[in-house]
Amino acid sequence: MAEDTFLSDDLLRQLMGVGEVDLLVGISSHSNADKTRNDLDAIERTFQQNFTRQRAVIVIVSGGDKTVEDPTASSSGNGTEKRLHSARPTALRTVHRVTADFVLPPSPGVALRTILAAADLLRARGCAVVSPATTTLTPDWIAHLLCPVFQDQYDFVAPLYTRHKFQGLLARNLLYPMSRAVFGCKIRELYSDEWGFSGRLASVCLNEDVWHEEHIGTRPEAWMAISAISSDFRCCQTFLGPKLQSTTGSQADIVEIFRQTVGNLFWCMESQQSAWLDSPRSVAVQTFGPDHELTSEPMELNRHRIFEMFRSGATELEPILSEVLDPDTHAGIKSIVLLDEEKFSFPSQLWVRTVYDFAASYHHGVISRDHLVQALAPLYRGVTLSFLLEHSGSTSAEMEAVTEGLCIEFERQLPYLREKWKAKVEVTS
Amino acid sequence: MKETILRGLEQAYNNLIQMGADFLPRVLVMAIIIVLGLVVAFVLKYISRAVLGLTGIDRASEQAGASRILRTAHLPTMSVLLSRSIFWITWFAFVLIGFSALGIAGLQDQISRLLHFLPDLFVGMLILFLGAIMANFLSRAALLAAVNAGHPSPRILSWSIRFVVWILAISMTLEELGVARQTVIAAFSIIFGALMLGLAIAFGLGGQELARKSLERYLGNANEEKDKEPQPL
Repeated sequence: MAEDTFLSDDLLRQLMGVGEVDLLVGISSHSNADKTRNDLDAIERTFQQNFTRQRAVIVIVSGGDKTVEDPTASSSGNGTEKRLHSARPTALRTVHRVTADFVLPPSPGVALRTILAAADLLRARGCAVVSPATTTLTPDWIAHLLCPVFQDQYDFVAPLYTRHKFQGLLARNLLYPMSRAVFGCKIRELYSDEWGFSGRLASVCLNEDVWHEEHIGTRPEAWMAISAISSDFRCCQTFLGPKLQSTTGSQADIVEIFRQTVGNLFWCMESQQSAWLDSPRSVAVQTFGPDHELTSEPMELNRHRIFEMFRSGATELEPILSEVLDPDTHAGIKSIVLLDEEKFSFPSQLWVRTVYDFAASYHHGVISRDHLVQALAPLYRGVTLSFLLEHSGSTSAEMEAVTEGLCIEFERQLPYLREKWKAKVEVTS
Repeated sequence: MKETILRGLEQAYNNLIQMGADFLPRVLVMAIIIVLGLVVAFVLKYISRAVLGLTGIDRASEQAGASRILRTAHLPTMSVLLSRSIFWITWFAFVLIGFSALGIAGLQDQISRLLHFLPDLFVGMLILFLGAIMANFLSRAALLAAVNAGHPSPRILSWSIRFVVWILAISMTLEELGVARQTVIAAFSIIFGALMLGLAIAFGLGGQELARKSLERYLGNANEEKDKEPQPL
């Protein structure tokens, strides 16, 4: 088995002690001991309240810190399992805790691979991964991720959150519409901190030869979702509620997020090109709960700064953009650079073409891939500003209608991407 | 008298015939070596092109920015360029060996010197080419980082890096070729030192405000103005 090569003897011993389970929840331990303890309590309460009769295990992936030993120290038995005691409905089964210890904090990819290997060995039917960074983790969240898999036989469960109307604009303007057009699957939160999956999908993903890839190391969740879509697994999304997160971010964050998400999506498109390049695909996605929920508290934004960043980026990066973009697309970018800030607008057709040119150039390796992804960030700022100006007074429904229009534009121009994607492949072969 | 002249002419004629008889086979050997070299060079060219095609060197060259330099210089793709270089180097070596087979004393010395100089020339060209790739890659990385950080003059930063890498590569190439070694080292030290000193003075005196802001940003005391973009995810 693939996992024999990387699971430690200690972890294997713990897993053998557990036997088979119905449910598995994986979590990376947090450097904050109190936070880790709270997360573990939330997970246990999930089993206690919602899965009383099921055999369950928590897999804790620990990166050299000893914070996870504290919660288990008080447990009865051998230290890897704990019988729950509560006045509320109590689990009838033992909830096991298994700890995978690493010398250094493992990357998200290594952590996920360990969790998948544990799920495969324990023959878990329903699994979920939760992030230690989430501050609003509740038993309901975990139950919402596990129930569609365990009860409704779904294979992949993506989360949906309540968001501020101007939060998640990269997902709204690029990641969601592009992944929907290319892979034909309407999963809104492809890049999330929590998600659920079946044991079947875990086994398939575990046996894929991708775990050495850098993109898997940093953000494995989108690849897992796209693998599920490409292999005709059943996918759904479930509404979890509000997620506490800063609504604004620094410039350095944005570049790093671009590397992790846009670079990752382009890589997924390349590694899964057989799933979309020659045939259109459409996969139905069931949504549990509301499709979206937006809030509109006042948000302090420096629009002038965003505009300046776009304009200087598009001007200064002209030599790079001329290599990456089609001449018509580049001419379009140059024309909107000349617009006034107050009248600024980034047409959706131009944005879609820009993104598709970047994706094709990524595939053909026109310039260093890392440089290429970074070069898209200033243009995204233009789209952000355009969105902010257009939707300062829009309602949730109006914003959704515009997003739907953008998705349709991405789908309409997909033949253009296919043509550009294939063009150079034929020449070089 | 007449007899002596005739004997001398006969001697000269015989010597010429003898020289021709000695020299013609060498010319023939030279021609055979050159033709053989041409065949070997052609074979190596096609083998190397096939092997380089399999290794995906053109794609790597595109990503590293080397292809852009080649296009600017109106040169073909990396695989074609390398296979052509192999052809010409191989054939040139065979031509030199062929000429040395003629056995002309003065020419042999020159050929020997040229053969000794060839590796240095090749290494020098390689250094220059790698320098061009590094300059292109690093200047682009600096340009992107500066643009995304909102730096006021990203192109100046990018061009400065390109300039420094080019100066370094040219100095190394000239040193490798042994061209005015002492002068090159001295010139490089002066130019590089002056450039760094100039930048330090300009930054410290002329850009006190910029220096303060940069240090604040570096030390994490940046003003909150930059944190005014919506969270992308």
